[in-house]
Amino acid sequence: MASKREFKPQKEYRYNRSTPARWIWSHALRYPIFPLGTLLAAVLNNYFYSSNQVNIGRAFDLITTPGWESAELLAIALTIFGFAVGQGLTGLMRNYTVEFTAQRVERDSRDELYASLLGKSQTFHGRQRIGDIMARATNDVRMLNIMFSPGLMLIIDSALGVVMPIVLIARLNSSLLLVPSIFLVLLAVTLIDYNRRLNPVSIALREQFGDMNAGLAEAIAGIEVVKGNAMERYEWNKFVGNARLYRDHFVRQGGIQARYLPALMFSLAWAAALLHGLLLYQAGALTMGQVISFMGLMGALRFPTYISIFTFNLVQLGIASAGRILELINTETELDENAAGMARPIRGEVVFDRVSFAYDGNPVLQDVSFVTHPGETIAIVGQTGSGKTTLTRLINRIFDVTGGRVLVDGLDVRDWNLESLRSQISTIEQDLFLFSRTIAENVAFGVTGATQEAVEQAAHEAQAHEFITSFHDGYETEVGERGVTLSGGQRQRIAIARAFLTDPRILILDDCTSAIDSATEDQIQRAMRRISSQRTTFLITHRLSQIRWADRILVLRQGRLVDQGTHEELLARSPDYSRIFARCE
Amino acid sequence: MGFILDGLDTEAYDRNYTDRELVARIISYFKPHKQQMGVVGLMIAMNSLAGTGGPILISKGIDWMSSDPSLTAILLLTGGVLLLGVAGWGFNYAQQWLSARVVGNVVLKVREDVFTSVINNDLSFYDEHPSGKIVSRVTSDTQDFAETVTLTVNLLSQVLLVAILSVVLFGINPWLTLLLLAMTPLAVALALSFRRIARTVTQHARRVTAKINAQIQESISGIVVAKSFRQEHAIYDTFQANNRQAYQVGLRRGLTLNTIFPVMGMAAGLGIASLVFAGGLATRGGLSPGDWYLFMQAVGFYWWPLLSIASFWSQFQDGLSAAERAFALIDAQPKVVQAAAEAVDRLDGRIELRDLEFTYTGSEVVLPGFSLDIRPRETLALVGHTGAGKSSIARLIGRFYEFQDGDLLIDGRDIRRLDLQQYRHQIGVVPQEPFLFSGTVRDNIRYGRPDASDEAVHEAAMRMSKGEWLEGLSAGLDTDVGERGSNLSMGQRQLVALARVLLKDPAIFILDEATASVDPFTETQIQEGLETIMRDRTAIIIAHRLSTVRHADRIIVMKNGRIIEEGTHDQLMAHSGHYAELYNTYFRHQSLDYVERFQEIVAA
Repeated sequence: MASKREFKPQKEYRYNRSTPARWIWSHALRYPIFPLGTLLAAVLNNYFYSSNQVNIGRAFDLITTPGWESAELLAIALTIFGFAVGQGLTGLMRNYTVEFTAQRVERDSRDELYASLLGKSQTFHGRQRIGDIMARATNDVRMLNIMFSPGLMLIIDSALGVVMPIVLIARLNSSLLLVPSIFLVLLAVTLIDYNRRLNPVSIALREQFGDMNAGLAEAIAGIEVVKGNAMERYEWNKFVGNARLYRDHFVRQGGIQARYLPALMFSLAWAAALLHGLLLYQAGALTMGQVISFMGLMGALRFPTYISIFTFNLVQLGIASAGRILELINTETELDENAAGMARPIRGEVVFDRVSFAYDGNPVLQDVSFVTHPGETIAIVGQTGSGKTTLTRLINRIFDVTGGRVLVDGLDVRDWNLESLRSQISTIEQDLFLFSRTIAENVAFGVTGATQEAVEQAAHEAQAHEFITSFHDGYETEVGERGVTLSGGQRQRIAIARAFLTDPRILILDDCTSAIDSATEDQIQRAMRRISSQRTTFLITHRLSQIRWADRILVLRQGRLVDQGTHEELLARSPDYSRIFARCE
Repeated sequence: MGFILDGLDTEAYDRNYTDRELVARIISYFKPHKQQMGVVGLMIAMNSLAGTGGPILISKGIDWMSSDPSLTAILLLTGGVLLLGVAGWGFNYAQQWLSARVVGNVVLKVREDVFTSVINNDLSFYDEHPSGKIVSRVTSDTQDFAETVTLTVNLLSQVLLVAILSVVLFGINPWLTLLLLAMTPLAVALALSFRRIARTVTQHARRVTAKINAQIQESISGIVVAKSFRQEHAIYDTFQANNRQAYQVGLRRGLTLNTIFPVMGMAAGLGIASLVFAGGLATRGGLSPGDWYLFMQAVGFYWWPLLSIASFWSQFQDGLSAAERAFALIDAQPKVVQAAAEAVDRLDGRIELRDLEFTYTGSEVVLPGFSLDIRPRETLALVGHTGAGKSSIARLIGRFYEFQDGDLLIDGRDIRRLDLQQYRHQIGVVPQEPFLFSGTVRDNIRYGRPDASDEAVHEAAMRMSKGEWLEGLSAGLDTDVGERGSNLSMGQRQLVALARVLLKDPAIFILDEATASVDPFTETQIQEGLETIMRDRTAIIIAHRLSTVRHADRIIVMKNGRIIEEGTHDQLMAHSGHYAELYNTYFRHQSLDYVERFQEIVAA
């Protein structure tokens, strides 16, 4: 059971995960028929368009030849029409094949990311920020789609939109390649220069927009404080300052965009092409119709001129997104599953022996030592940042100690089989996650084949049965977006019901919800008491009653265990501790 | 050329202002820049001329060349084309740059106006307008409406171009021109129907995608839970089903939107083909080859401007909607209006409420005639169920809302006649969820008195629970609080808010106690801090803490906007009335007695 990846989907496809570019490439080629189709279609599409420019020139030559036949002209007109239809159809084919590729890349990469996340250990997930993961699975994956359609599609089109006319120009008269070649060089130079100037300004503009937005949002969210302190003028000045800076960047960007030298290059090239063409005409090397064809083919170069900037940006963004996704997929968590370790029922004795833990070089816990007997309830108290949650995460090895040892039943946790260890330790988090399913399904989530009786029994113990049956559909009530919204206290009791069903040997309960009314409070107290009575429980709580009646209390302060003992012991020797209880006289 | 697909996403918006009003108002914002706009107009016209001039020159040139291909002629012709091309680029440069300047300034002005109105409004305004919407109106809608003008200006240039060209072509050969113009309805019809289809598809896709995304997000949030219960396969199946659905919807939308341009191209091709033939026949009847070529070029010139003209109207309407949203905010009148601006010095802190009538939105009456006298330096606790009117009283005293009838006197003076800014300097308000601005703890404490010295800030911080709480901050007073104070715990944020009040040293303190859970140590510090604050001023507290009601000089028990009991805690408990019931519901579990009797309670 224990392997590097805890989950593997059936029919998995291996992508190349070495670099972002290769990864994108392997995704694009997964269904080769589409990219091939795109290429073929794009070539034909540009061929038809460019050929029609030549056809127009031929028509001109025809009508300037004395004695021409209408039928011949009709033939040319029909050819033009036919090629236009061909251009349209191949355009559709190009667009559609790219669209398929783009949508599939989005779907497949999201699938790949998700399967990979599922396969990662609890250690990995315990350390991740959910917002980060979400952003990558939605925005970054979307960016890949956009990179293909329209990004890469336009790039392919532009590239061929340069190649095809060049080829046909060469067919007219190879010396005509002079002007287009020089133009392309100048185009590249001016485009790079344009990009270089525009980029910093665009970035500054985007950032300034973000700042302006954030400042505005802050002022509005805190409007009561703003008004209460008569700071309206101050906030106004702040906002207007931001808005003015934005205007400055906007105007600067507008100036750069207005100047767009590539367009000037095109005008120069256009005139030069005309000159070259007419000179050749004068020398008899070209017919006027061919000059017209030439000008038409030069005109085809107008499109790549204008579209390039936009498309390169998209590709850049796409690669950046791919990088972020790959980073997540390729993260390995170094924790060893220890397949050969101890696997047996836990009695519930937990010992911390001079435990220290540092995260990213910052010390979080220092020299923490205590002993817990099976079945005891340990209350952990301390201010935020004192290390309470981290301490509990060392027990089920979300993190590993950097000094000292954590022992379960006398054995170092690193010598336990990780799977066995974790399956017997449960954590009830503050922010309980419920699925958009029925209450019964949520309660029974961990236990396949749980009977309705068992579910109701657990709910009774957790003091949840009453409120569940108060809903119209009782246990079949849907929770979440499509169903009812539960209060914090209700969610907590559902989590406790779940824990009754899974019956862990060690329970870590993060109880930091607040009490609204005494009736609910009594129920929550009862539920917590019941769930902690049959197992070793680590309780991070603010509730004085839970603290006072715990078997042992650990007082943490900035990562150190400054005191521990029973309530009576602490009352006697700790002034800080007594102060807490003195207040509710 | 994606203009045809622009703005398909915008939501419908019920309009109250007429188009004419909006347009007039938008124009008024551009009036200060009318000279620049004039130049922009001129540049557009010149650009159009240069733009049409080029093809015309070439066509004439072709005819010349046929009869007289001399070097001079060639040079003249190419020189002319070069000149027109460069001139066109130049006119476009000037026009775009000036437009950017004008638009930038107009948007700035509109933003200033909107924000001025927003910041000066009272809290009833913020109840009506969710903050997210306000932000998007100030930043996005203002931008959108300025771009309506750019859109219109571009449209005019397109129309001008097409008009000039049509006139010239008509002069050359009316029949061909008519043939060319006959294709116009086809182009417009195509554009419009595509837009309609695209709009429907986009809006449908947006709704479905939002739903699917929510489901996918749920699948992601649920990974940890699924793993801890070994339910990976189940959740994977759910995810895959949603992912596939998202693919279908996205594909359909993408394919639909990507159909338009190739089809347009085919239609253009049909146009060219017919012109080639008809034009060719026309040359037999006197049309010169050069002019024939002009008609060929014209199709390209016509086609795309026609498309942008076709999509103009709905984009224009969207722009007007954006303008309306911005103007709606500018026009929102504050309800709290002072009748005078009498100076306010250090107050004693005596507050008298006389028969106050108050309702938030005009529907439910919150205070049906409320009276209360508060003595200077008194600590008053307000208790009652939700909706009893406690918060309303606190907010009315803070002058955040306007009451409909009755009197509110501060130190015997009508609150409506006081200078509002000066009055606010005399009060300290801490809402239920204390709000911190990004910056340091020091900056936040200083927020109410920006001119306070560092020593004063330090001293205020130290007066709260002997400054012990500062040790819990990673860098003391210089700690960066993060966005909205996210680097600090709830309890620490409350302490900062209280220190802010201490520094300000107001005559009247108004607190809406938080109900969120805070660790016992920080809670002690908060309670000690509160005691310090309550000592030297009038304190009005919407109480949720047992220690608050115990220490209050007087407790006011409210129900349905009336006082039903008042007295000290002991007096009220002895009375065994509504207060005793409230106590049992909200305060009992905070008492030591409850803590000690815990074993009995949980055994039940």
